[in-house]
Amino acid sequence: MDHLRFRLALAAGKITASFLKLMAGRGTNIPGVIMKKICPDVLARFQMPRTVICVTGTNGKTGTSNLLTHLLRCGGLDVVNNSEGSNMETGLITALAKRSDFRGRVEADAAVLEVDERSSPYIYTKITPTYLLCTNLFRDSIKRNGHSEYIFHKMDDYLPESTVLLLNGNDPISGLLGQGRNQQIYYAVDRTSESTENCENITCDCKVCPQCHRPLKYEYYHYHHIGKPVCSCGFRMPAPAYSAKDVDYAAGTFTFCEDCQPGLTLPFSGGNLFQVFNTTAAVAMCRLMGMDPQRIRQGVQEFASIGTRFADSEMAGHRVVTMLCKNQNPVSSSRSIAYLNHVEGTKDVVLLITDSKDKVHGSEDISWLYDTDFDALKGEDVHRIFLGGTRCRDLALRLYLAGVDSEKLALFPDYGELCTRISGLTAPGSTAVIYYELYAFGIAQQVKQALGKEDAK
Amino acid sequence: MKTIRMEVLFPEMSDLYGDTGNLVYLRKKLEEMGFSVETVRTALGDVPEFPYRQVDFLYLGPCTESQQQMQAQALMPYRDALEARMGSGNVTLFTGNAFELLGEYVAEEKGGRFPCLGLIPTYAKRFTRLRYNDLSLGNWDDLEIVGYKNQLSHSYLQEGQRMNDCFLHMERGSGLHPDSRQEGFRRNSFFATYLLGPILPLNPGFAERILEHMTSTAVPTFPFEWEAYQSRLEEYRK
Repeated sequence: MDHLRFRLALAAGKITASFLKLMAGRGTNIPGVIMKKICPDVLARFQMPRTVICVTGTNGKTGTSNLLTHLLRCGGLDVVNNSEGSNMETGLITALAKRSDFRGRVEADAAVLEVDERSSPYIYTKITPTYLLCTNLFRDSIKRNGHSEYIFHKMDDYLPESTVLLLNGNDPISGLLGQGRNQQIYYAVDRTSESTENCENITCDCKVCPQCHRPLKYEYYHYHHIGKPVCSCGFRMPAPAYSAKDVDYAAGTFTFCEDCQPGLTLPFSGGNLFQVFNTTAAVAMCRLMGMDPQRIRQGVQEFASIGTRFADSEMAGHRVVTMLCKNQNPVSSSRSIAYLNHVEGTKDVVLLITDSKDKVHGSEDISWLYDTDFDALKGEDVHRIFLGGTRCRDLALRLYLAGVDSEKLALFPDYGELCTRISGLTAPGSTAVIYYELYAFGIAQQVKQALGKEDAK
Repeated sequence: MKTIRMEVLFPEMSDLYGDTGNLVYLRKKLEEMGFSVETVRTALGDVPEFPYRQVDFLYLGPCTESQQQMQAQALMPYRDALEARMGSGNVTLFTGNAFELLGEYVAEEKGGRFPCLGLIPTYAKRFTRLRYNDLSLGNWDDLEIVGYKNQLSHSYLQEGQRMNDCFLHMERGSGLHPDSRQEGFRRNSFFATYLLGPILPLNPGFAERILEHMTSTAVPTFPFEWEAYQSRLEEYRK
């Protein structure tokens, strides 16, 4: 009976997926939702490819899983992934259903599945990954994820023992997953020219030693709690098998190293150390699977990141940069805002980072703003800061408390008015940097278009 | 220039949910009022200042569940000093699950409990499946206080006990637990509440009350703070 239920679910899912593709032309999780209703343990009933890699973590999982998928395909593997849908259970079901035959056998050499870390109890009780790659664990959406310890246990309690873990050796939180139980292999990024002796961020999710609970020291910090922790009790992160060295921000390159192999020079973009971490993680996984280093390098060089997250263009004499800034995620947002330090010349900044659908989602909990670093907005070369949305006053107060000159702040609870007035308020020839949260992508594009209307000045 | 001494308990652990924003806000207000601020950070294992020296503002913020028991044990030798603070005019603020340390104990969902300070007649009970979230609007004196809740536990009164010193009467959102309208604890200038926000930046009127009490000085207004508060209050009243 269960088998019949599965076949029925699979048929329903495939039909729904085909229909939706015709209508909407893009991915959706509805097939997975329908399949789960018909057969609640549908995820457990697929015959998975011989290699299943789950990519999870607070930040970097999409970038890492997309790069990893691309690299494995460069290596000649047929890879199924869930990049078109969500990273929760129904997203995985949808992606697997599309690539399976009517017996539920997934027709691919490998599966690279991006997994929302909070979904771990629903995923790892149904599929056993060959590998789990965890990028990092930070505090994230307060409503869903609370704090990093909460998410750590959500994951750790459900990891199958046979899964090999590829972990971030610079992260003393996620780096402890599977301790004493799973095989753990590490990648890490060496000290860079921007590493610091002290944590220079508001949030540091690991200030006490996981072993002795005394204040934890670091040889250096990359950002937040990511770095090289050490404790007098003897606690240290294990030596990495794969590492990134010689990070050159100006040239946008670093050297990927592993024992007994010549170093691979690889590119990274945007002056962003996140990219170094993502690339190192993806390349380490490929090497773990035995992929040829030169093929890997070629693949990294070819790879174009997802267009919607970062774009750099010219509009009527302004350079306009648009960048995703994850709402409710203080670490990711801090990293995005810090990008301003790499933008030269006069800047006008647009912050569309509080929930643009506040009225639909319910009044936003803005506490995450107080965990976010806004120091880069204090620079004298920041001409004006435009704050959009219902919570613009909260954001303005936060920026004032961060030491930003309140005279530079222009508040627009109404996005339409922002678009109407912005081009008359920016400095001539300035670089406009537009930060937007996930649901505000369309608004960011409208602001960008408005900046291009030179005749409005 | 007069100095205000602020003591922050367990800053290496109790820095969740943006609540360190309470300290940033308070410090900036005091500096604009012409005070210098001495901040003492008392880590786990350190001897705190407040039992032995004048501390004008004592603060403890929310921590993770695994750290709570360590904090309860660390504060136990200073239980009487905390009780004395409740009777004094010095300001104390405990936010988030720091509130629970004042009660009798915290009970785990699957059994087991650890003792807390026993200063108020409550106990906390944990649950692990889903986090509890709430938008909060409560009344204290003539003030309307707004905030949020995000927690993995609720508090309950011990059998036969009454909460004579509750902080807020809730108009919206839960009190100690979802069926209660009483939230938090207040005796004189000792405040303890589950509410996050951070509570001071979100409530300039409440912050003003505390600061006037601490300093007997007029409190300046920050740009945008009252507009943000009014806007939120209108939403929460709906």
